[in-house]
Amino acid sequence: MGSPPSRAGTAAEPEGAGRVEELYRRHAAGVLARCRYLLRDDEAARDATQDVFARVLRSPGELASAGSPTSYLLRAATHQCLNVLRASRAAWRDEIQRMARDRRERGIEPESRELLRALLAAAPDEAKELAVLYFVDEMTQAEIAAETGRSLPTVRKRLREFLAAARAALAEAMPDLVLPDPEALP
Amino acid sequence: MTAPVGLGGPGVACSALRVRRLDAGELSGEELLRTEAHVAGCERCQAVRRQIEAEREALHRHLPFPAFAAGIAGRLAGSAQAPGGWRRRWVPLALAAGLAAVVVTPIVRPSLLGRGDVLPGVRTKGAASVQVQVATPAGPRTLAAGEPVPSGAAMRIVLAPGDRREAAVALVDRDGPALLYAGPAPAGPVPGAFEWTGEGDGELVVVLDDRPVDGAALLQRLRDQGLGGAVPGRGAELVVVPLTRSAR
Repeated sequence: MGSPPSRAGTAAEPEGAGRVEELYRRHAAGVLARCRYLLRDDEAARDATQDVFARVLRSPGELASAGSPTSYLLRAATHQCLNVLRASRAAWRDEIQRMARDRRERGIEPESRELLRALLAAAPDEAKELAVLYFVDEMTQAEIAAETGRSLPTVRKRLREFLAAARAALAEAMPDLVLPDPEALP
Repeated sequence: MTAPVGLGGPGVACSALRVRRLDAGELSGEELLRTEAHVAGCERCQAVRRQIEAEREALHRHLPFPAFAAGIAGRLAGSAQAPGGWRRRWVPLALAAGLAAVVVTPIVRPSLLGRGDVLPGVRTKGAASVQVQVATPAGPRTLAAGEPVPSGAAMRIVLAPGDRREAAVALVDRDGPALLYAGPAPAGPVPGAFEWTGEGDGELVVVLDDRPVDGAALLQRLRDQGLGGAVPGRGAELVVVPLTRSAR
């Protein structure tokens, strides 16, 4: 993961003793929440969270050079979880089928974050991360471009890829569900 | 025409990440003032703040600091002692679905240093016991005493800590000790499934105490003094489970 450009106003991260406690106090809640959301398994989320912070402590320079520690750690957590999920690609089909069944039989519309999580697994790898940055972290396309070092057209292209994959994933189970127009995304 | 389903995404001035950065003290200057003013009057961003607060409560419930620190220490100790680079001989497994169920009937009795070691401070009358479970296609299976660990199996430790509140679990084999867990003693599975890699036999060392067990110190004592150094002081309880491997 590349280092994002430096920004002013970043709170200083502590050094030496107490660093683990400070990282925990400031950032572990958000990282664990991201891992629980993406993995849907408390134990796997705990493991992934600890893996993320162990990696940070092994290479402290990466976090120190990050413009935003919060953004850096959430991206690291997303990477970690997407790697874990890569091994279980088939599960998203079951998840979408379940949502379609709930919708058809009980009138329950899919919750947006649940739907997004299921659709992530259907998307190409690079599009997944950018979709999380856009739809979960609510970063603008320009912010994503700056954060990831990609060009704005590339970010747009990846989001289009995500929505195309999502549309294809829904085509059979919930064909009437309309996803956002990629050209209209802010 | 049907309205598009909402998947989230940034609003005109709303960004969950910006609220998180505000809460983490990462904003300054004009951006800080602008964000504070916006969040104060924005219901959507206030909802993000409530979510962040709920996440903090969930953190303390699901991953309290002692367990977090022990997990980090174990991972760092594993990387530091690996000869010739990063090669852990126990590998945490993120998704061991076959181990999701819990078997709570203890069948492996405490095996207190069956090598003739004399350990001052070790209690032998405690009710604590330890199980080793392996994942199978049919679900978790508890290994019988002396039963070899199947090659490549996803393993999990299940504690019955008696009246002890804190625990540390270490794996000791020919490559030395490795910390698997330190933190509140769960009556059930210890967080984290793992695979026992490497070669040779070993022991699972479980220290139960009324006070927090320092995982890093336990590792150091095991390195310096062997199993005889496992117990931190009088009143602590030690359970040692011998582990053997099945033929590959």
